[in-house]
Amino acid sequence: MRTVQPCIVIGSYVWDQDRVPRDEFQIRIAELNRLMDANGWKAVLVYGDAAEHSALAWFSGFTTRLRWGMALIPRQGEPRLLISMSSRDVPAMKLMTWIPDVVSGWSWDSAFDPWLAKLEGDGPIGSIGFELMRPPLFASLQKSLGNRFSLQAADEAVAAVRSTRPRELSQIRAASRLVQAAGAAFVEPWRLGKDIETSALAAERTARMMAAQDVRTLISFDGGRTLSPFRGAFEPQADRQSGMAGYIAVKHMGYWADLFVTGTRRASEVEQRTQASLRTLLDLAKPGAVAAELYAKATVALAPYSLHPVLSGSVGRRIGLSLNEGGEIRSDSGHALKPGEIYSLATGGYDPQAGGALTSAMLAITATGSELLHLSPASKLQ
Amino acid sequence: MGVQQVRLSETVRYLGDEALDGLVAVNYGHNSFLESHAVFVLSGVRPIGESAVVVDLSGASTLIVTPAWDAERATKLSHTSKTVGTDDLPGTLATVLGEHRIDGRKLVSVGLSTLAQGLAKRIEAALGGNSRANELFIRQLARIRSPEELAASQRATAIAEQGYAHMLTCVRPGLHEYELAAELYCEMKRLGAEDNFLLMSASQHNLAVRAAGGRVLDVGDIILSEITPCYQGQFAQICRTTVIGKPTPVMHEKYAILQAAMRAGQKAAVPGASMRAVTAAMDDCFRASGYGDYCRPPYMRVRGHGLGITSDLPGDLTAESDTRLEQGMVFVMHPNQYIPETGYLMCGEPVVITPDGAKALSARVAELDSVAA
Repeated sequence: MRTVQPCIVIGSYVWDQDRVPRDEFQIRIAELNRLMDANGWKAVLVYGDAAEHSALAWFSGFTTRLRWGMALIPRQGEPRLLISMSSRDVPAMKLMTWIPDVVSGWSWDSAFDPWLAKLEGDGPIGSIGFELMRPPLFASLQKSLGNRFSLQAADEAVAAVRSTRPRELSQIRAASRLVQAAGAAFVEPWRLGKDIETSALAAERTARMMAAQDVRTLISFDGGRTLSPFRGAFEPQADRQSGMAGYIAVKHMGYWADLFVTGTRRASEVEQRTQASLRTLLDLAKPGAVAAELYAKATVALAPYSLHPVLSGSVGRRIGLSLNEGGEIRSDSGHALKPGEIYSLATGGYDPQAGGALTSAMLAITATGSELLHLSPASKLQ
Repeated sequence: MGVQQVRLSETVRYLGDEALDGLVAVNYGHNSFLESHAVFVLSGVRPIGESAVVVDLSGASTLIVTPAWDAERATKLSHTSKTVGTDDLPGTLATVLGEHRIDGRKLVSVGLSTLAQGLAKRIEAALGGNSRANELFIRQLARIRSPEELAASQRATAIAEQGYAHMLTCVRPGLHEYELAAELYCEMKRLGAEDNFLLMSASQHNLAVRAAGGRVLDVGDIILSEITPCYQGQFAQICRTTVIGKPTPVMHEKYAILQAAMRAGQKAAVPGASMRAVTAAMDDCFRASGYGDYCRPPYMRVRGHGLGITSDLPGDLTAESDTRLEQGMVFVMHPNQYIPETGYLMCGEPVVITPDGAKALSARVAELDSVAA
């Protein structure tokens, strides 16, 4: 789900060596080294910003909370991490990564050029995440590279070799447990007659008190027809018999988990069809399942209702260090599900009389099937 | 006439003066605390995703928002003539430009340099590849807060102060930093803050403020908090220092230097004054106390800065800035400083420029606060 990107991520991302020890990064960098050798890259530059930094976090451990960061990883020599923060903030940023050499990128020439000068010879350099880079920064980088080095996009090659590591799965399970607690807290105030924003804030508070680094919520002010960002109005429930709908995503130890919340006070067909649609997805999501076929069967189960507009034509996507790691499950998707992938599945519809129904689940695709990580909380309020 | 209509009218006047057909302002979908939000300034809407506003010489305007499902909310809020939802911003922008009959060669863009370059290239193609850019237009247009924006800034300041007061009731040894941050953040959200640039951390000797983490609070800790709620698109920031237990005399002595610097900065910040002069007035207080060598990073960052979304002017309060202050500008002034004897200390208020200097929007200016251990 697309949510509002906050002005800063307020949670802490200190490198937790108990959960992700140095050898984990050695394994990941070894994968990168193999790609560098195969492609003749002298180095790989991994870029991320506050909104999207999955690859940067995977290779460096560093999560960009504000502006941008870039890991400079040579095939031979020492890596450097550039951060778009003041030199005042460097000591705190050093706690977030295994890379010892952390430098403020605000003085580009003195931060990047000396590192580049240590690369021997010339040739291509791989780049990751450069589509996200702002044009002025890219211009500075191109000026530094000059004619000596060319850039080759490494995004697809890296994505192909990057799999969910066992330690990552452990962290994702922890994030899943956290979002389940937050989801339960979302429903309770509404059940007691509180307004939807109080409900969402209760969920957020629960997550943050459990050390969530980031929390995103969307809420419905019209019984599940549309979703909106938090606006701070706290208007009372207009109709105590109406249902509720919302969405929450939490980031914990760098990994996202999310779920939809629907609360209904009376049974409705749209709610039943939504549950049937999710059951279809859960039954069929396994290695080799073709995404487009999953979509088709989930939407058939939802009939006579159309897929809820807020799902933007998708009943799932991969989730992890990014809220959207790709792999959207749409009518025209061309991929199949693979072992090791983590999916957030979501479905739902809208009925003018009964309101909206949205439900979701997260699961890990295993070698033989799938592991259910969590489901949306039960929708029945009474 | 609301402020967005005024700014749309001023935009049309600018187009006429420059012999242009239209303006395209874009935003990358972030609620940036440090940059102006061109789409918000012109439409009154902060869309969830990437967005654009098209304004033509006749005064007609269209807001384009992503994702498509955000269109209904945006339509209710927008001051533009029309609102469109899409999941393909460049494609829809090309269509809308056609509807406005805007010639790409007589077009000015705002904000393209802040977009991810992948999207920026696609939008440049939609604009025809011949447009010119004026990245300063929106920050100049909105550099003075309107009365309703100033009222929202004052409400944001009140939320910050109430949030801090709540924090003081929660502080106790044994609490994790992230738990205290959760209390602070959620209280301000309960008070109506839509977003918050919040940094809060503690140490026996801080090097700077950072994000709240897993550290457990203890007696003698100095808690630093940079509290920046956003209310109706207006950020306000207060910077506070809190000691768990009784502050030592040296803490009081050094904190008084920050307070003196704050007062000196406020006095110097009159309309027409340069940011350089205001910074010098503040730095002089530290120099007079023997800390001249510490008036540079990494011992401090800047002495204040503009508060984004509406306009990031007057920019950073630094010894290099020649930007001149104007009456009605709103920004944060904060002589936050590392002092060898105490560690980093924070003291800052949101201010508005008046003929008498920078007037703090906060009801209670920063003191060295303490809570019982």
